[in-house]
Amino acid sequence: MKIYFELNGVPQYPEVEPGESLLQLLRRLGMKSVKEGCGTGDCGACTVLVDGRAVRSCIAFAARAQGKRIITLEGLGTVNDPHPLQEAFLDAGAVQCGFCTPGMILVAYELLSRHPDPTPEEVRTAIVGNLCRCTGYRKIVDAVMLAAEWKREGRWR
Amino acid sequence: MRLTGVRRFHWARDVEEALSLLDAYHGRGALLAGGVDLGRSARTDLEGLIDIMGIGLSYVREEDGRLRIGTTTTLTEILEHPAARRYLHGALVEVLCRVAVPPLRNMATLGGAVVSAHPWADIPTALVALGAEARWEGEREEHALVEELYRQPFRAVFRRAVLTEIALPPWNGAFAFEKLSRSAGDIALLNAACGVGIQDGKIAWARVAVGATPARAERLTWLEEALQGEAPSDTLWRQVQEEVERRAKVGDDRRASAAWRRSVAGVVVRRAVARAAERAAR
Ligand SMILES: Cc1cc2nc3c(=O)[nH]c(=O)nc-3n(C[C@H](O)[C@H](O)[C@H](O)COP(=O)(O)OP(=O)(O)OC[C@H]3O[C@@H](n4cnc5c(N)ncnc54)[C@H](O)[C@@H]3O)c2cc1C
Ligand code: FES
Ligand code: FES
Repeated sequence: MKIYFELNGVPQYPEVEPGESLLQLLRRLGMKSVKEGCGTGDCGACTVLVDGRAVRSCIAFAARAQGKRIITLEGLGTVNDPHPLQEAFLDAGAVQCGFCTPGMILVAYELLSRHPDPTPEEVRTAIVGNLCRCTGYRKIVDAVMLAAEWKREGRWR
Repeated sequence: MRLTGVRRFHWARDVEEALSLLDAYHGRGALLAGGVDLGRSARTDLEGLIDIMGIGLSYVREEDGRLRIGTTTTLTEILEHPAARRYLHGALVEVLCRVAVPPLRNMATLGGAVVSAHPWADIPTALVALGAEARWEGEREEHALVEELYRQPFRAVFRRAVLTEIALPPWNGAFAFEKLSRSAGDIALLNAACGVGIQDGKIAWARVAVGATPARAERLTWLEEALQGEAPSDTLWRQVQEEVERRAKVGDDRRASAAWRRSVAGVVVRRAVARAAERAAR
């Protein structure tokens, strides 16, 4: 069946299978930042934003994208023009293998779009469901706090 | 996605359409709300998915002190709704912010939580303690306390009906929720929801539900009766802890042993009852 949605600002009209996951659809469309970790909603590696809300794409149905605005990490920034959140993750040393990073950044993006001035505790609560097996969480929290500071200083686009 | 065999996806426009689609599949179709459970499911018998997020059941309303919540309302939408935040001075918020993790709360609906009713889940425990009422539409409109619903073969009911609303009654008192889990976002090893009303310095009524025992929530009516007329005190709370530890119906599962559950059940209930009483006395 054919659906319509907006992916990182670009209209899409893909054919989807009724039992296909949003993760499968997005990777099929070239969004390789969307990672499959567990495939059961537990790890957060597959997180994307649907109408501004972080969701787990591995357990979301592709058909549900119909009429939605979806943002993956590719929609935030590029290697040559990174988003301040991506820069903050690099500055704070919050990336090792990088598998968890897209999900972490998108969850942080949702948090900061609603609460631009979170406490470290609020950041920890927001990322509680996103697992990182390399870095540990302290530097990730530091990165989000740094990005929040930059946002309040008007350095976000 | 581990669901195999799904051939059709429908977007129902109202309850009636959802019901007729459900009927047409003769048990091989399922209502799809947040999809948190269905998206993880490995069922092979489903041919059709019926999306119910657009059937007009996403709402939170306050009416005569009752809080009425449409079943497709997501846990995040409830958490952010002013009326839901106000209800019993934040009693519902206290529960929902301990359920799963934010991106799952953005997806999961209240109706899905009531119907999936995992024995370890927190929402059934809270709804049983709060005396929540469920409304559904199948062949006709029906309603029952969530607690009573769980005594029926409710899964069979919702293969042919749409759960439409959960209503929470007003209480002249306060509630508190406790959950023990291995980590902050994990599921409960034991949970308890308690409510207490205080009049003239004495406990006028009490409601106590304990879940993840590992069975689904049940009320401790013997404790509710024993608490009536007692004055809150540390001695009373110690007695509550000892009695619950002695009488709690607990069992083993792969997450925790019955012995461990017994050793913590008293503490969990004591904390919840004492906190509810402290709030009610304010
Ligand atoms: C990783 C993870 C962690 C979790 N942690 C917790 C936790 O800490 N505490 C807790 O309490 N719960 C927890 N849950 C459970 C979660 O709350 C439920 O899975 C969720 O609320 C289900 O809602 P849904 O809308 O996604 O349901 P769906 O997956 O859409 O549906 C679930 C079932 O209910 C049926 N259904 C849905 N809506 C209706 C309706 N209106 N009428 C009739 N039938 C309906 C569907 O057909 C299906 O059979 C967790 C789940 C996961 C996956
Ligand atoms: S891959 Fe989706 S939560 Fe782990
Ligand atoms: S950086 Fe490797 S999992 Fe987080």
